Amino acid sequence: MHSGGFASSLRHAASALALAVATAACVIWLAGGAPVEALAALAKGAAGSPDAILRSLAKATPLLLAGLAVSLALRGGLFNIGAEGQLLVGGLAAAWVGAMDWSVPAWLHAPAALLAGAFAGAAWGAVPGVLRGWRGTHEVIVTIMMNYIAIHLTHYLVNGPLRDTSTMAVATRPVREGAQLWSLPGGTHFSAGFFVALAAAAGVAFLFRRTALGFEIRAVGQGERAARAAGVPVAHTMARAMCLSGALAGLAGAVEVLAVHRRFLDAFSPGYGFDSIAVALLGGLSAWGVTLSSVLFGSLAAGSVYMEGWTSTPRQVAGVVQAVVIVAAGVRLLRQRRREEE
Amino acid sequence: MTDRAPLAVQMKGIVVQYPGGVLANNGASLAVASGTLHAIVGENGAGKTTLMHVLYGRQPPDSGRIRVEGVEVRIPSPAAAMRLGIGMVSQHTTVVPGLTVIENIMLGAEPHVAGVLRRREAVERAQSIGDRLGIALPWTASSETLSLAERQKTELIKALYRGARILILDEPTAALAPQEADALFEVLRGLTAAGGSVLLVTHKLREVLEHAQRVTVMREGRTVAERAVGETYADDILALMVGQRAATGVAPLAPAPAAESSAQPPWERGPASESGRFTGDRSSARPMPLLECRQLSVRPAERGPGLRDCTLEVIPGEILGVAGVDGNGQLELVEAVVGLRSPSAGDVLLDGESITGKSVAWRRRRGIAYIPSDRQTDGLVLDFTVEENLLLGWQRDERFGGGWMIDRGVTRAAAAEAVRAYGIRADSGGAPAYALSGGNQQKVVIARALAGAPRLIAAMQPTRGLDVSSTRRVHEALRDATRRGAGVLLVSLDLDELLGVADRIAVLFGGRVAGVLDRADADPKKVGWLMLGGQE
Repeated sequence: MHSGGFASSLRHAASALALAVATAACVIWLAGGAPVEALAALAKGAAGSPDAILRSLAKATPLLLAGLAVSLALRGGLFNIGAEGQLLVGGLAAAWVGAMDWSVPAWLHAPAALLAGAFAGAAWGAVPGVLRGWRGTHEVIVTIMMNYIAIHLTHYLVNGPLRDTSTMAVATRPVREGAQLWSLPGGTHFSAGFFVALAAAAGVAFLFRRTALGFEIRAVGQGERAARAAGVPVAHTMARAMCLSGALAGLAGAVEVLAVHRRFLDAFSPGYGFDSIAVALLGGLSAWGVTLSSVLFGSLAAGSVYMEGWTSTPRQVAGVVQAVVIVAAGVRLLRQRRREEE
Repeated sequence: MTDRAPLAVQMKGIVVQYPGGVLANNGASLAVASGTLHAIVGENGAGKTTLMHVLYGRQPPDSGRIRVEGVEVRIPSPAAAMRLGIGMVSQHTTVVPGLTVIENIMLGAEPHVAGVLRRREAVERAQSIGDRLGIALPWTASSETLSLAERQKTELIKALYRGARILILDEPTAALAPQEADALFEVLRGLTAAGGSVLLVTHKLREVLEHAQRVTVMREGRTVAERAVGETYADDILALMVGQRAATGVAPLAPAPAAESSAQPPWERGPASESGRFTGDRSSARPMPLLECRQLSVRPAERGPGLRDCTLEVIPGEILGVAGVDGNGQLELVEAVVGLRSPSAGDVLLDGESITGKSVAWRRRRGIAYIPSDRQTDGLVLDFTVEENLLLGWQRDERFGGGWMIDRGVTRAAAAEAVRAYGIRADSGGAPAYALSGGNQQKVVIARALAGAPRLIAAMQPTRGLDVSSTRRVHEALRDATRRGAGVLLVSLDLDELLGVADRIAVLFGGRVAGVLDRADADPKKVGWLMLGGQE
């Protein structure tokens, strides 16, 4: 990234967070609550015990994968608003493959289900990628439309052909044991999915540091015309970037399904795909920055549940913190862009 | 003369330091008499443009004093400059593409009654200014349809529309045919005769000698001399411009204020252009052409005629210059040759084999290199480092890993080598491209194009905006390539450049080849005539 480097990103994130916490305190105080107690509860719920930390990391897992998806596309100059839809189709594909009666060795089942999720996400990302690359159709419009298609398509499938009629829940059949991802007992939802996500972050970092494709994606993102003139296949690169981005988002859905819900629940995502945009921007688009910001967002999510339970403060206060952090990240991005234009 | 005539502009002790610490102006001064055309010359980075930006209110100086028409002023913004009667026509025109010509002209000074625009009034006023100067523009057309020269005229009228009495022009003739440039100077002469003052920033000494009354020479942020043009010689000015380096390789120019217009500037006459020229006898068998365009037609990129039925060839070892007024098919020709644009009819051949339809990358592997005209958008990824820019397009080449992986050790070494070989002034290969000066940016583009010993180099205005020594280095690099047997397709809007370095000159007009002249037969009048649509 062309920003002032990792250290300055970190400094900026810290000050944004401090500002956000101060704002939240004001809001709580104005609403007649006890800011210190509430925020202490938030912190305790986020990182006050080993279980709290594991819960935070579990919440961070889908955000990390989807955040990587958004950041990868954005480095190629493509705004992937469609992570949510890619995540949903990825989750459904993983649930479908995971529930199959399969005669292959059981240890292959989980990787196959993960792969199915990644493929479905990639296919969902490929459509806007190809349209953008060869036809110039704006990816924002197409990804938004693809979101609606994914939401309604999965809704239809899980209510119709793929519905498990033996339960009241609107869900697919549970995935078989061999397809489930290992997770820690005790309800923290911490699972092998977190390590999958970390591996993905390492993979994205490697992609941009060492591979020709990563170089091409960055070149197209930062200087499309120069890249084209130098012979970089711009359309192919855009399609590839969107495929990879979709694959990561699809993986996020697959991990959620295989590790947490163990089946595809209708509308299981509380908007991971949209939150991941903020995660990506806050993380400064670098893989490790995105890792940190996803942990921050995961912690806020875990902490806010605890805060609501132990104080009378509603969990939406965590939303205030998130919002301020996002605005700060946006301001920073704008300032950077203006500097570059000058 | 300067003692008695009121000074239109007086600047003293101007200091401008950019955030990076660069001293762009370091005590620069300027005195311009009313009713004169005053030239400002100097190499790239001498601080000419910065000084003009100070005068136009775009760049607040750190210190220094400015007087306009005898009154001490501060100029915090272009709006303030306009109120003082100062107008500027920039190097990069600032025409807003979405607006019509007249909307651009009246932008910010719209005649209106109770908020309702009076467009017709604006057109009439602009037209009367245009009539006086002999400029006609399609007032109500979208400004996107304008050529660069027309945009410039739009800006000129825009400045006068606002009542400018002091006009700054930054490299105004860089994109004009000789006749167009002469017409512009005719306009400017009319302005000065009416008491206006013109500040002309230029790299072309001939313009200074032919049209200016006085000249200020800048070097390294300072004003080193001010002379009356009638009392000075070109080689004096050149020596003042380059300072200590004058001794190294710049041949003296004959004192010729009224020289024949065909006289070549000295920097385009060096030994490099004499040797290695294609000397084959045209009547004997010509070598097999390296590149051929056969009845090539290309739809227009944005506007203009596109390319129509163009047949050309480049043989090994020659520089084929392509002359023409901007927007007559040059871009379409070059982009069709390098593979960025597919022709609607006809063929492009390399070594007699059709390569029409092949990708840019494929052609590049086969030895076609491209030097685009706009180095900042088409040549470089500005946020990339020098090393990364040198790698661009070669990222899957065998030298750097040959496929999926890039060996950063090798790319770093290659970048260090290129930085050394081409004398790129950068702290290291890790410096971002935007931090380099224009000349050094161009060196990066050229280093990348020439890596891998290309056989055909398609260069589009490779010296635009470069100073004398950078220009010479570019020409030497191209000439060196021809000595190796490469062919060069050199598009330039600067006819002097083509007359200086090309072996043959093809003239494009209206997308067609209006004529191909050997250099021996090419004089500026003849080429200019063809450029403007005359018959051979």
